[in-house]
Amino acid sequence: MAHCERASKPLLQCLQKTYTKGLPGLQLQSTRAFQTTALAREEVQTEIKSQPFHKAPDPALVSSPRLERKLLRQGVSPIGSRRRRVALQDSLNIPFEQLPYQCFQEARKVLLADREEKLRDITSMREKISRLEALTTEQAGGEQVKKSKLRAMELHLEHLKIQADINDPLVKKKFEDGQGDMSKPIYRYLADRKWREYRRKILVQRITQMKVVPDVVPHCDPILDTKLYFARRQIQPGEFVDSKASFEAPKLDVQMFEGGEKLVTIAVVDPDVPNVEKDGFDFNMHYMAVNVPISAINTKVDLAQLSTESQVIFPWAPPVAQKGSPYHRLSLIIFEQRDSQPLDFAAIKAQETTRENLLARTLETRYKLKPIGAFLFRTQWDDSMYEVMKTIGYPDAEIELRRKRDEKLPYKRRNTARMRG
Amino acid sequence: MFRPHGILAPFRALERAIAPSTVRVASYSTSILSSAVTTTTPSSSSTTLLRTNTTRLLPPTTTSLLNLFTRQQVRHASHASQGAANRHSRDPAGKRLGAKRAAGEYVVPGCIIFRQRGTKWFPGENCAMGRDHTIYTTQSGYVRYYRDPERHPDRKYIGVAFDKDGKLPTPRNAPTRRRLGKVAVRFDPADLAINQKQQSDLVAEVTAEGTTVGAVPAAAMNAGLQLRPGYMYREANWQIGRVAEKAGITAQAHRPKNRWLAWRKRVARTERWAQMKSLKNRKSTKKGKK
Repeated sequence: MAHCERASKPLLQCLQKTYTKGLPGLQLQSTRAFQTTALAREEVQTEIKSQPFHKAPDPALVSSPRLERKLLRQGVSPIGSRRRRVALQDSLNIPFEQLPYQCFQEARKVLLADREEKLRDITSMREKISRLEALTTEQAGGEQVKKSKLRAMELHLEHLKIQADINDPLVKKKFEDGQGDMSKPIYRYLADRKWREYRRKILVQRITQMKVVPDVVPHCDPILDTKLYFARRQIQPGEFVDSKASFEAPKLDVQMFEGGEKLVTIAVVDPDVPNVEKDGFDFNMHYMAVNVPISAINTKVDLAQLSTESQVIFPWAPPVAQKGSPYHRLSLIIFEQRDSQPLDFAAIKAQETTRENLLARTLETRYKLKPIGAFLFRTQWDDSMYEVMKTIGYPDAEIELRRKRDEKLPYKRRNTARMRG
Repeated sequence: MFRPHGILAPFRALERAIAPSTVRVASYSTSILSSAVTTTTPSSSSTTLLRTNTTRLLPPTTTSLLNLFTRQQVRHASHASQGAANRHSRDPAGKRLGAKRAAGEYVVPGCIIFRQRGTKWFPGENCAMGRDHTIYTTQSGYVRYYRDPERHPDRKYIGVAFDKDGKLPTPRNAPTRRRLGKVAVRFDPADLAINQKQQSDLVAEVTAEGTTVGAVPAAAMNAGLQLRPGYMYREANWQIGRVAEKAGITAQAHRPKNRWLAWRKRVARTERWAQMKSLKNRKSTKKGKK
C-alpha cells in the first residue's frame, strides 16, 4: 500500500464507490457526499488521463521515495508526512464537515453547541467589561478594585477565546500543518503549549546546568521561544559554534506567545573571559541593543540589521577563546523593558562606554529590565580561532593558557611512636 | 574428648534437684565468707573459692557430684583456640572511615576529606565524590561542613571555600565563584600553521638503553621509511591508509539495506570457507592413508 502508482487513484475510487454502494446503511449519505464533490473529482480524473502520475506527481499525494526525490529536485517539497499522503491517496476527498459517519456528526454537533455557548459568554463578558469601564472610579469602589477587576475579566475573556476554538478539529489541523495564524489567541496558545512540552525544557535545562542563570542573571523564566541562526544554520542551545561561523552577528527568531507588541533589550554576555592576574574570570558584553520591537507576528530579528542610530549600543564583537582556556558561554538574554516604554538611546550610549565587565545584572537594575528570554551557545579554541583573533586585532592572540599546578601540602612525618603506644 | 553419656544421664537429674539450692548457698556463702576466705587464700580464683565454700557447707556426697559438673564446663585451650562460632567472627576489623580533614583545614586538589559507606555526606562546592563515596576536593581551600536547604532539605554537604573566612553555602542566585587555575604562556603561531599542514607521526628510536617511542618533528615525515611501532621500517599508518585513494581505487559504498548484495557476499564466504575446509580435510586424509 506504499506507492500510489501501484494502486492508481481513479481505480481505487471506482472500487470504493462500488463498495459503498454495497452497504445499505451508508448509501444515502455517501451518495450525497459524492454529489457535492463529483465535479472536482472529474476534473482531477481528466488531468490524470492527460498526464500519468509518475510524470507529474502531486506533492499532496506522492508517497514513493523516488517520486518524492524527483519532486524535491524540481524544488517542490511534498506536503505533510508520507503516512498522511498515503492515507490521502485513497480518501474520498469529502469535505471534513460532511464526513458520512453518524457518530462523528453527532460529536460535531456537541462541539458546535459548546462553541456557541462560549461565543455567547464572550459577548456577555465584553459587555460586562465595557459596563465596568463606563463606571467612574467611585462607583466601581476605588481605582485599585476597578483595575484588578478589569484585569481579571480580561484574563477570563482571553481564556474564553481559547476555549471557544480549542476543540475545533480544523484549528488543530491548521496548527499541525504549520498554517496557524499567530495573531489569533488560539494558535498562540497551541504554539506556547507545544514549546513548553519540549523545547523550553531543553533550554531551561541548558541554562541552569551551564550556570547561565546564577552567573549572568539571577533569575530567568523564559516566555519567548528563541531560535538562533549563524549563516542560516540553526544553533541548538549550548552548542559549540565554530569561530568562523560566529564571526558575523547571528539572526534571531523570537516568538512571543502574547498579544500586542513589546520593546526588548537584547544583550550577549560572555561571563568566561580569563583573567590570569586575578586567577578568575571577567565579563564581556559582545552585543547590546535596546528598543527592539517584537510581537507574535513580527519574530525575525537580525542583530546585524538593527539601526545603529537608535538601537545598537555595542555592535557585534566576534566571540574568541584563547588557546587552552575553558569554553566560553555566550549567553544571549532578552530583557523586557518596563511597560514596553522606549529607553533613552542617547543617554545609554553615553553611559555605557566599555564592553569589559559590563554585567547583565547592572543593566537589569539600571534600566529596570526583566529577563524574559535566554539563549546560550559556546565557543572554544579551534583551527580558525587564530585567524579570527588576528582579523579583529585581539591583543593576546599568541598567549596560551596552561594548567597551573597547585602546590602540594607539606609532607608530614607520621607519628609512629603514638601508633605503637 | 570421650564422655560416657549413659553414666551422665542420672547425674543430670540430680543436678536439676540440687542446683537451685547450691546456687543459693553459694551466693550466700560468698557474701558472708568472702572476707574470711580471701584473708586465708588471697591468690585463689573465685571458682576455687566457691568450691571451698560449698565443700565446707554441704554434705560430702553432694560435693563429689558438684566436682563432676564443674569439670564438665571447663573449656580447654585447644577448644578455645578454634574460635567462637558467631560472636567474634561477626566483628571484623574497622575500616578507618570518617573525617580525614576537619572544618577549616586547608586542603589541595585530590585531598580526601571524608571516607564513608554510602552517602552520609554529599559533595558540595569544589568537592567531588569517588567510586566508594569518598569525598575529595577539586580545588585548594578550606573545608566546610554545611547544610543547604535550598538545594536539598535533608542532605549534609562537604565543601571547600576559597577564602579562610569564606561562607558556604553561597546563595542560589549569586554568581558562582571560580578559579582560573592557569598560567599564560606565549606560543609560536608558526607551530599552528605547521601542525595544520603536516601531521606528525609516532616513530620508534632504538638507543643503547632500549627503544623509545615518541613523536618526531613534522619535518621528518618526508625523510623516507622510518622505524615504526611494530619494529619495522615502513610508511606511517596514515600514508598506508591513503594508498587506495592514491591508486584511484573506489569501493562501492556500503548500503546496509542492500540485503541482496549482503546475501550474495555471505553465500560466497560460506562457499569459500567450505572449500578451504574440504582442502584441509583432504590433506589430513591423505596423510592418514600414508
